[in-house]
Amino acid sequence: MLAPVGLAQEQGAQRTDDGMYLISYESKLQPITINRIHNWVVHVETSDGSPVDDAMVTLIGGMPGHDHGLPTMPLATQYLGDGDYLVEGMKFHMNGWWQITISITVESSYDSVTFDLQL
Amino acid sequence: MQFPRKIGSILAVTILLVSTVLWLIWPPAPGAWTESEIELLRSLWIGSLPPVPADPSNAVADDPRAARFGQRLFFDTRLSANGEVACATCHQPEHLFTDGLDVAQGVARGERHTMGLAGVAYSPWMFWDGRRDSLWAQALAPLESPVEHGGNRLQFVELLVSDAQYRSEYAALFDELPELPAQDPAITEVFVNMGKAIAAYERLLVPGASRFDRYVQALLADDERQFEAMLSDDELAGLRLFIGDAQCINCHNGPLFTNNEFHNTAVLPARGKLPSMGRVAAVRETRADPFNCVGRFSDDPNANCAELRFARTGDDLIGAHKTPSLRNVALTAPYMHAGQMTSLTEIIDQYNRAPLAMVGHSEAKPLNLWRNERKQLEAFLRTLSGPLATSPEWLAAP
Repeated sequence: MLAPVGLAQEQGAQRTDDGMYLISYESKLQPITINRIHNWVVHVETSDGSPVDDAMVTLIGGMPGHDHGLPTMPLATQYLGDGDYLVEGMKFHMNGWWQITISITVESSYDSVTFDLQL
Repeated sequence: MQFPRKIGSILAVTILLVSTVLWLIWPPAPGAWTESEIELLRSLWIGSLPPVPADPSNAVADDPRAARFGQRLFFDTRLSANGEVACATCHQPEHLFTDGLDVAQGVARGERHTMGLAGVAYSPWMFWDGRRDSLWAQALAPLESPVEHGGNRLQFVELLVSDAQYRSEYAALFDELPELPAQDPAITEVFVNMGKAIAAYERLLVPGASRFDRYVQALLADDERQFEAMLSDDELAGLRLFIGDAQCINCHNGPLFTNNEFHNTAVLPARGKLPSMGRVAAVRETRADPFNCVGRFSDDPNANCAELRFARTGDDLIGAHKTPSLRNVALTAPYMHAGQMTSLTEIIDQYNRAPLAMVGHSEAKPLNLWRNERKQLEAFLRTLSGPLATSPEWLAAP
């Protein structure tokens, strides 16, 4: 499988599949380098731009071309305020095309978005 | 005389066929690298290897006195049930800290192939399945394994107490050894400190430059005469495959040629053995290990321990084993977690075919490399040999 062409290392905000939220992320390790465990900050806001402060944020990832996931199980460990969630335990162990799916659960509603990432 | 048209066509087709075949057999010598290829070569180059990462869980990790004490422990066969097995029994310095056997032979026959130790301090996980999360926690496990050293911590502390040199070396680093008879936690404390000293020694074992590294160095310095002489056309073609079509670099990445992570690539179990579950079974063991990063024997109570806290198991880790370094691979046969492969040819053939895994799911996909390409890949792997960058005084018993 080939990665979509022209992927930047990081992208701007993306709308979740059902359109409920706008999600963006920032890696605290710049540039993202393989084999180094690090943190991300995931930003969640509603489609009208208000930060979401009561979300359960989960993140999974993997390489579609290799049928394996991330080597780690990252977790959102802290709410930093202003719609920002600290995700610890990010790690990539291969260069290539990764997909990261970020899911947002607020009370009983659920929505998610998948980011493509080329390392 | 007019040249018959038919002959002309046959001639043209023949020339085309012959040149195609020739190109396939002898593709043009790998010429210039693209910028992104040069970056990949730089990423594999020994010059990109950072200093050994700090280990805050081990307060004596970088203390030369601890390394000296650890070196003595490493070579001491008294640290075993039968007085014949030291760390160096399997991790033999003259064999790049491997033993040439399929599986380790301690006081009994083990189940795993002995891994080399050069660069081991860079890995967040130890053992083929990563069941320990520091070098010192790893060093403790074989000492009490019934098939490796077969000893126990009380026996080891008794030995240290009975040996004047050990007594003074230990006291200089930690504290006076306890008066015997003693009980836990004093005994375990000494045992842990032995592991930390052995780790301090092992941290000095780092790989050195190979012919491949000298090639990259010359390439980066734009020293054409040097780099052209360094690798043959076949080796260069093999290198191109390694970072390209053969996809070796996916897992064998970075200057140690390993990502120190775990993959299922459908390697068959040793003959007559059940397949190893590999990584999927190991994380629970690490979490339960009293000597892990969050345990009370760590010297850094504020350690982040991210690798352990966010360690993952999942179905894709069934049957997954650690990617070994490829440095000195040609000199460290046999291969794989149970030494079940004896030659590089056999391994390359395995990855070329990419059979289905016996357990779990193999990540490897068939490569469909030609025979000469497989030979080129092997030729390249043979350029990764080079002596350790460790001072010779550390490469023998003190």
